[in-house]
Amino acid sequence: MLFLKLAWRNLWRNRKRTLITVSAITFAVVAAVFMQSINRGSHEVMIDNMVRFHTGYVQLQDYRYDAEPSLDNSFFFDDEIRDRVKKTYPETELVLPRIETFMLAGNEHTTRGALVLGILPEQEDAFSGLKNHLADGRFFDPAEQAAVVTKGLAERLQLSIGDQLLLIGQGRFGMSANGLFEITGILDHPLRDMNNQTVYIPLETAQFLLSADDHITALLVHPGGERHVRAAANAFNEEFSGDDLKAYTWPEMMPELLQLLEFDLVGAYFMSGILYIVIGFGFFGTILTMTLERTKEFGVLVSVGMSRVRLGMVLFLETLFISITGVISGVVAAWLILYWFYLNPIELSGEIAETVIEMGWEPVLPMSFAADQFYMQGLIVFVIAMFVFLFPLIKIMRLNILEAARS
Amino acid sequence: MAIVKTEKLSKIYNPDTVPVHALRDVTISFEEGEFTSVVGPSGSGKTTLLNMIGGLDKPTSGSVEIDGTTITGMSDRELIDFRLKHIGFVFQHYNLIPVFTALENVSFIMLLQKREKSEMENRAKSLLEQVGLSDRMDARPKQLSGGQQQRVAVARALASEPRFILADEPTANLDSTSAMNLLDIMEKMNREQNVTFIFSTHDQRVIDRARRVVYMVDGKIDRDEVQK
Ligand SMILES: Nc1ncnc2c1ncn2[C@@H]1O[C@H](COP(=O)(O)OP(=O)(O)O)[C@@H](O)[C@H]1O
Ligand SMILES: [Mg+2]
Repeated sequence: MLFLKLAWRNLWRNRKRTLITVSAITFAVVAAVFMQSINRGSHEVMIDNMVRFHTGYVQLQDYRYDAEPSLDNSFFFDDEIRDRVKKTYPETELVLPRIETFMLAGNEHTTRGALVLGILPEQEDAFSGLKNHLADGRFFDPAEQAAVVTKGLAERLQLSIGDQLLLIGQGRFGMSANGLFEITGILDHPLRDMNNQTVYIPLETAQFLLSADDHITALLVHPGGERHVRAAANAFNEEFSGDDLKAYTWPEMMPELLQLLEFDLVGAYFMSGILYIVIGFGFFGTILTMTLERTKEFGVLVSVGMSRVRLGMVLFLETLFISITGVISGVVAAWLILYWFYLNPIELSGEIAETVIEMGWEPVLPMSFAADQFYMQGLIVFVIAMFVFLFPLIKIMRLNILEAARS
Repeated sequence: MAIVKTEKLSKIYNPDTVPVHALRDVTISFEEGEFTSVVGPSGSGKTTLLNMIGGLDKPTSGSVEIDGTTITGMSDRELIDFRLKHIGFVFQHYNLIPVFTALENVSFIMLLQKREKSEMENRAKSLLEQVGLSDRMDARPKQLSGGQQQRVAVARALASEPRFILADEPTANLDSTSAMNLLDIMEKMNREQNVTFIFSTHDQRVIDRARRVVYMVDGKIDRDEVQK
């Protein structure tokens, strides 16, 4: 108990310094979390958009489709399959059948390559709020001979609402597929790539056009949230393996993007590394003076018979108090600050804002509020602090008591 | 039997660069119940001798025996434990833990010895009474005068029930009243409880109070006298 008392009193011996050290750790945690939050924020927006507007959380595909994405590898879909999906994973919220293929899209004069998606607009909208991104016009009815063209593509083909869109391509098993579609809407797609090349047409119309009655290339499943993704995919793989279907999770569907983002984080990690080094040296300065100041005291304690291990323990307790207090208050402060930014996001302005708005995002600085960054950064700073605090321990182990007494 | 016995004790500092012969073949012994002063001019080797006897430093050659146990050659860890159990220390300055009260400073050494808590407190209180500080038990070192601090240090040194107490110039930083007061206390403990004291000094009035005086010159024992 007296050891604990000794450690505790030592903390109060130089109140100001203890406070400074604690606040330095607090600040370090806040800075580290903040940096992470901003680094990850834009990535989360990207991934989220990708999931919402392109891949979905989980997709069921014919197991051959991944290697050879052709209509020949589409699969039969009806209400029975829909019911089986829901039964297999009851938390399932939405089931979105899609047929997807590349065709030539054109006006009277020119054509361009286009990604043609046969969809059920109501379900898509329920999942991604797709209709909110309509720049003009409306989405089609289920079996209408109509199309919604993304803004980039419409501009390139100089098409607008009411114009006829020509689609030329190949259907299933090499059947020719040509059709004229009235443009009912122009969509400002949040994903730049998709905005330049996508045409939406009704699912049924697409199936007819592509000679693929009742067939789809992908079934997007919304399993009720991120945390269900893995479990749902596993369940589907078990249930549908006899139907030649395979379930993919969103990370499996966009490995290149994730890799790219990971690569993008290298710079961020580097910056974090620098931050950690600065933090580490900051602590080191404090700890150094703190230790040197007490060399004499350490010398007396060892002289009268306190073992170095015991003395080290007292010091360890002191540093533990400081680090834990600093880290906890840092995590709390970081949480409060991020929460404030969550309620009052930083508005972007000028050119950046315009670009961001164009991409369909809100013109605010994207920040991540993921919980793991709090304890991860807290833990890292704690480890750094404890690591720096090894210095006084080494000092004690090597302390020459006579020199200490004379100093 | 002697409590402390040294055998041809030599100490050379910086043997490789600028060798300083701090002790030269010192052979001396101290008996139980002694009240002995080691005296001599500055640099004569008093501190070095006391450090060797206290196991705080290692001799270049020769040996130190305490209560029949040779401490020369013990490991650092063994020495720390040996000091805790057998030797009491009073240093010239900076003796006490600044964040502890007088009472805690005295108790602390017994805590290191893993004694019973109740025994610890009672003993610490009675020792502080003996050094005349019963009303200052809860004061921190900073709130005590230099003389009072040295008295706490004596109480602490005694708390561990050592075989003898080593005090290197315990009065050097004190005014003469405080110095005489400290000597009174040490002398009383020696007389009434047979506590063995070996202390160094170069203050003539302190020397006068010792029963045995060991004169050192240039790392050697020059004279060894019993007074009165
Ligand atoms: N750590 C050391 N390194 C080098 N020389 C030392 C050291 N400690 C003491 N000395 C030298 O040894 C001699 C004896 O010193 P010391 O025992 O402190 O004498 P005293 O206590 O009688 O003043 C002196 O010449 C002193 O300068
Ligand atoms: Mg000296």
